[in-house]
Amino acid sequence: METLTTLILIAVGAALINNFVLHYFVGLCPFVGVSRRLDTAFGMGLAVTFVITIASLLSWTLTFYVLRQGAPVTAWIGGFFLSPDRAAEIDLTILNYIVYIFVIASSVQFVEMYVRRFFPPLYKAFGVYLPLITTNCAILFACLEIMKHVSGASSPAEMWGLHEALTLAVFGGLGFTLAIVIMAGIREELDLCDVPAPLQGPPIAMIVAGILALAFTGFTGVDRGLEEALRPEKNETAQTARSESAPYPHEVSR
Amino acid sequence: MIVILLASLIMVLLACLMAWILGWANRAFHVEVDPRVSAVLDALPGANCGACGYVGCGEYAEAAASGEAPPDLCPVGGDSCAQAVAEILGIEVGQKLPFRPVVHCGATYDKRLIHSEYRGEPSCRSANLVGGVQACTYGCLGFGDCERSCPFDAIHVIDGLARVDYEKCTGCGACARVCPRNIIHMIPFKSERVMVVACSNHDPGKYVRQVCKVGCIGCGMCARKSDLFRVEDNLAHIDYDQYDPESMDEAQLALEKCPMNGILYIGEPGPEELEQTDGEDVGEPVRDEFQTTVDDTEWHG
Repeated sequence: METLTTLILIAVGAALINNFVLHYFVGLCPFVGVSRRLDTAFGMGLAVTFVITIASLLSWTLTFYVLRQGAPVTAWIGGFFLSPDRAAEIDLTILNYIVYIFVIASSVQFVEMYVRRFFPPLYKAFGVYLPLITTNCAILFACLEIMKHVSGASSPAEMWGLHEALTLAVFGGLGFTLAIVIMAGIREELDLCDVPAPLQGPPIAMIVAGILALAFTGFTGVDRGLEEALRPEKNETAQTARSESAPYPHEVSR
Repeated sequence: MIVILLASLIMVLLACLMAWILGWANRAFHVEVDPRVSAVLDALPGANCGACGYVGCGEYAEAAASGEAPPDLCPVGGDSCAQAVAEILGIEVGQKLPFRPVVHCGATYDKRLIHSEYRGEPSCRSANLVGGVQACTYGCLGFGDCERSCPFDAIHVIDGLARVDYEKCTGCGACARVCPRNIIHMIPFKSERVMVVACSNHDPGKYVRQVCKVGCIGCGMCARKSDLFRVEDNLAHIDYDQYDPESMDEAQLALEKCPMNGILYIGEPGPEELEQTDGEDVGEPVRDEFQTTVDDTEWHG
């Protein structure tokens, strides 16, 4: 039950409250570039969800077993050169960017070959978007977010497991799909509107994206209310904590 | 120091692992591709711009190789690219005629008989939604949606009727797409001057006479004079597949006999017109003056 609550909170947080595009502003290139038509936007959203899940699976595995401080594989290799205590202290998280980009690029290649062989219609539907996703920063962001919760966790109990990492990835991807589909719907309607000449094209798209981001800030605080509803036993501590910072609204987690 | 060594060791291990997986996948998931597809793909510019109507060069290459698409769709590569693609596929590039827009309406404002005042937004698209702005529901509205859509400044509304400047026109078709009454059609220009029926009205002649001085009444005179014409739904059409600029004698007769003078030549002025205006002072074209202080910017809100 406790695990499920955590997963629900992560899912809602990734999909709505801290939406990748509309809260963190990552993955803006496909968000603006591929949101001209509804069907391609939906295809792009699903492709991103797919790749983000695979990349997160790999990046969690690598972070947990290789990169973080005290990771088993690193400690084992380090054990050949160093004493076990010192080997367990080795922290390879400095390699995060290069490893994640490497993993994302390779997994996209692999997925492309796999899909092409076994699901030709899907390959056709994804078209050029699949290779384009290699350079999508939303995916790197998801990997970094997972790393933050694995190597940066203050205690081993708070460290994210694979299920939590995958929840973040899947719902983050679905949140991206939601955002890009809403955007595409608006832009299809915009084609029929009389936009003033200086604002036509990208400017109005940026303005619409901004208004959409404003609208999504309306979800801020939902995570707190949801947490209180799902974890009644923690309510009391939460309430005392709130009374201390009474005049201030809940700080947006960023 | 040991950390750096360890980091490089891990990276090398990771690279070997990924290379091995990808290499294995490349063989295991190998897909037989038509060699012509990759040859066509190499011949294309690889801009992935989508101007051909396909998502990218790869998809167009597949369509061209399977015969679904003609070899000359790529505007970036141009003629040489089309030639290369056609050679790979072993087909010939079809002769490309320039397609130019024709406004199938010949009625300037004073030749349309019944109007009512329209105070809405000055665009054909909105005026077309309101019934009865002018009695002819087929003809040009003259609010200039085509003029605004033209990226080459090649179509203008003169006396309430859209007219194409064929010297500037590149045949992009923007005006034909934007016209809410669909009276602008793209037709093949087999010569510099092309004969057209300047009307789109499908109503019986009696009603056409009530709303227009020059509309086609569907009498069929042209069809009797020349095989080039046929009358469908009370409107004369020209069959441009059979149109031959070399043998226009019968069609010329039809043009002269048309009771409404609804058949015209458009494009370059012919020898007769040049003869008529020869020596006459036709005057300089009126240019815009930018010295006025009156702001006549229209607001389209």
